Amino acid sequence: MTDKSLCTERFFNDFYTTHIQAASNFAYYKSGDKNTSLDLAQEGFIKVWENCTKIDILKAKSYLFTVINNLFLNKVKHQKVVFAYAKSSPYLDVDNQNPEYLLEEEEFKEKLKKAIEGLTEGERVVFLMHRIDGKKYREIATTLAISQKAVEKRMSAALKKLRIKIAGI
Amino acid sequence: MEENKDLLNWLNREISEEELMHIKKNENFKTLERIAHYSSQIAVPKIDVAEALQDLNRKKKQTVKKGKIRFFNTQQLYKYAAAIVVLFASTYYLTLNPESHFKTEFSQIKTFKLPDSSVVTLNANSEISYTKKEWEGPRDIFLKGEAYFRVQKGGKFTVHTALGEVSVLGTQFNIKERKDFFEVKTYEGLVSVQYKDLFIKLPQGAVFRVVNGTIDRNTTFDVGKKSWRQRESSFKSTPLRFVLEEIENQFGCTVETQDVNLNTLYSGGFSHGDLNIALKSITIPLQLTYRIIGNKITLYNYDR
Repeated sequence: MTDKSLCTERFFNDFYTTHIQAASNFAYYKSGDKNTSLDLAQEGFIKVWENCTKIDILKAKSYLFTVINNLFLNKVKHQKVVFAYAKSSPYLDVDNQNPEYLLEEEEFKEKLKKAIEGLTEGERVVFLMHRIDGKKYREIATTLAISQKAVEKRMSAALKKLRIKIAGI
Repeated sequence: MEENKDLLNWLNREISEEELMHIKKNENFKTLERIAHYSSQIAVPKIDVAEALQDLNRKKKQTVKKGKIRFFNTQQLYKYAAAIVVLFASTYYLTLNPESHFKTEFSQIKTFKLPDSSVVTLNANSEISYTKKEWEGPRDIFLKGEAYFRVQKGGKFTVHTALGEVSVLGTQFNIKERKDFFEVKTYEGLVSVQYKDLFIKLPQGAVFRVVNGTIDRNTTFDVGKKSWRQRESSFKSTPLRFVLEEIENQFGCTVETQDVNLNTLYSGGFSHGDLNIALKSITIPLQLTYRIIGNKITLYNYDR
């Protein structure tokens, strides 16, 4: 137990390496601001380090995400959420090179991006953790320290909103 | 609702062929498929883990400096340091360097032994102090007021007063130091008195007296005569003001005068037992009279 303590440098570094990307992503989903997301994540890890004696290792991950969430609520002013697609992103139908199809897909992507930016924070975080980090509902639930039912609810709500928004516009 | 569950399962890639067939019939499935596909292409800031970890370790050092570990240590340290300081200070003052201090109030006389078993009798409204630490070699005592000393043979015994110093080797003497009044009487042996730059050897029965800065060394006194230690004060050619001061000290009252020359010399004495008798023994020879109101005595001229 002692060598697995968060207070030991090696174990903490392992913990850090495993979770830093996800933590930064989480901050990014919340804020939609790529400039502050890493800083928020770093501060979250420092809090974990400072409180390493008090934290149960099994709950360290959800502690980290809770801290980042709190830091976000305390520090970051709510600004417009802005996302962007990765530069090399294949279309759904990779073989279809029809310019009409390509244009249609670009339009769709633009609508989808706007729609995601318009989701509530909770819905957006769950949705993107699922889609981008590829996490299962169960995993998201433990990470955010909420029930799986709540995760599924947010996911459904997010899907519904996106669908309506894209179809409607 | 059922359909919703299926959709969620589909997104989670936990779906059976049968269910998949079912939701593919859904008119929205095409849109959902595109949502699922393109939403996962949103870019996230890529973290250079090694660099970020280095940066974190720098920040960690900064926070640890003011962090809990140091906090804990200093708190404990200060606590112990304070306790040790208090402990040492109190032991020092209680055992190593105690300043003994004795004081008498109005109309109170105290007799006690010094560490070398010399005896001091302290007259009313007087105080002496000495440090035990320096008692082995030269013996030093600080006196304010009047006291009678019977000194055991030993090292140099010095009494410091505001007006002068008296040192002996072993003898009996009386020192009286009041405002503008300094008097040393030798009861036995030889006493050396230092008053300012003046050194005087005072033999048995001799009196050294300084009144208002004027030195008088020709007076003598009767060694066998009763003194304040027998609760009687006796005076010889002493200005009245000092006699009245002694009344104040012995009876704890205030004395005022009306048209009385305070420099009139008085020879005689009074007993400490009864204020009326004491006042009479002063006023009758000087042809004065007095009245007592509460704690206040007023002396005035008999004739008027």
